[in-house]
Amino acid sequence: MSLSRSRRWSALRLAQTVALASWAGLFWFLLASDRTSLYLSSRTAWVVPLGAIALSIAAVGRLVTARTEEPQPLGSRAAWAVGFVLLPVVAILVLPPAALGSYAASRRSLASGLVSSAPSLEAGGRVTLASVAAAGWSEDARRSLVRRAGSRVSFEGIVARRDGQAADEFMLTRFIVSCCVADALSVQVRVVGAPPGRFDEDQWVRVSGAFYPVGKEVVVDASEIEPIPQPDDPYLNV
Amino acid sequence: MAVVESRRPMTTDRRTPILVGVALVAAGVGLRALDAAGVASLRNFLIVFASLLVEALPFIVLGAAVSALIEVFVPASVFARLARMPRGLQQPIAGLGGFAFPVCECGSVPVARRLVAKGMSPAAAITFMLAAPILNPVVLVATAVAYRGRDILWPMVLGRAGLGLLVAIVTAWVLGAGRGPDILRSGGRPAGGLHDHGEVPEARWTEYFGHLASDFTMLARYLVIGAAIAAGLQTFVPQQVLGAVAGTPILNVAALMILAALLSLCSESDAFVAASFVQFGMSAQLAFLVAGPMIDAKLAVLYAGTFRRGFVLTLTALVFALTLAGALWFQVAFG
Repeated sequence: MSLSRSRRWSALRLAQTVALASWAGLFWFLLASDRTSLYLSSRTAWVVPLGAIALSIAAVGRLVTARTEEPQPLGSRAAWAVGFVLLPVVAILVLPPAALGSYAASRRSLASGLVSSAPSLEAGGRVTLASVAAAGWSEDARRSLVRRAGSRVSFEGIVARRDGQAADEFMLTRFIVSCCVADALSVQVRVVGAPPGRFDEDQWVRVSGAFYPVGKEVVVDASEIEPIPQPDDPYLNV
Repeated sequence: MAVVESRRPMTTDRRTPILVGVALVAAGVGLRALDAAGVASLRNFLIVFASLLVEALPFIVLGAAVSALIEVFVPASVFARLARMPRGLQQPIAGLGGFAFPVCECGSVPVARRLVAKGMSPAAAITFMLAAPILNPVVLVATAVAYRGRDILWPMVLGRAGLGLLVAIVTAWVLGAGRGPDILRSGGRPAGGLHDHGEVPEARWTEYFGHLASDFTMLARYLVIGAAIAAGLQTFVPQQVLGAVAGTPILNVAALMILAALLSLCSESDAFVAASFVQFGMSAQLAFLVAGPMIDAKLAVLYAGTFRRGFVLTLTALVFALTLAGALWFQVAFG
């Protein structure tokens, strides 16, 4: 069977296919490499498989319909536009899987309104960084935290230092993400009794010791500080 | 050179795609080298930038998919019937459209654009665009979760919904009344019927994926620029600079609206951030939640690529002024 006019590949449509397929590939990569938690909270992680599937369907659909009797040419402006859309894909793929660091701690607001995920301290729950964040807002949460003063805790986070902070202190910092990293809020506790000069800024550590709420702050008198690798879920979720 | 080159029809130039590929590889290598140098601000920028895109891009695709569906599969008679509805009802109904079709702000832009191109009144389409990211079940539930356990829970949820609808209707009415599809930027007008004039009508699916892909590439471009601006602002403007005015009436409301515009949060998550600004008071938090989903750095770029000149400025001024007035009234009435 012969068509009166032959169908040829349209360069413009192929370029659109490349744009859609590259983004689809990125979303599949995030899923396969478990990197979603670097960018989204567990509440919104479903966006990634959704994006991967929707982009794949769009890419396949565009490829299947990319042949036409009147192929559109690919102008140089359109080619650069597709390249621009691909730039973030390249950036995300080449960069190491890093999480927000102490730089962000100096610029982001402190979490003070997040109570939903804090385990109930009254029920004997463990004291976590989420309960510390809760105490910043709720008087009840604060009172139950105070009642547990002196008990032993174990917190994981990154090392951040404030200007003029004593050599044996640092702020153990963790970020709370409710949707994507753009909404990250920080929760910090002051760690005292750290060996001076041992831990670099941005180093992930586990701090164990007795904790004491002091004024608006929570102080941990460290008995043990050990370096740990960046956790799979670098952010706390609410 | 006195020769003025007229804009010739675009031809496929084989060199450009190769150049684009080389540029992308060079950008990758350059970024890797910069990251290895350990520049904290650059790393912070890239993490926030990537996260905004990962969050928003799926909604751009979904928005483009729905927009293409409207173009190809919804008969024109439906829009004619909608346009015959009483004028006074069109906007409020469009504003509640988010309950039937929960989209967040990135998805509502391509849909609104398509609705205007299909002949829906711009006032109604813009009402939908501005209101749907607030007046949808997902966002209102998220707002309730963020404020649960506080005595301002119901004022915040109902205030967000009510003030959001009101600001959307008034803003859209001022922007769109008496206008037609000319409210769209000529380059931002969807390609409906303008491309692929083959003599043989193309199959519907070919048309469908054509609209989807061209909407996606156009909007993704603006989203990338918008996310870069938002990530830059997040990286270089410390949030604490606004803390100084937390206790000053009116200024605190303005400060949180500006912060919302700088942060470009998704409307499903912004309540958790707003709830953390306890020191700012209720009216300021409400303004953050109403103005943020209607105008921010990321959206300004998306709007500018879609609508005619002057649209973004007028919209920003209206949304800010109306939200400020509404939030202050709310403070007086329920505070």
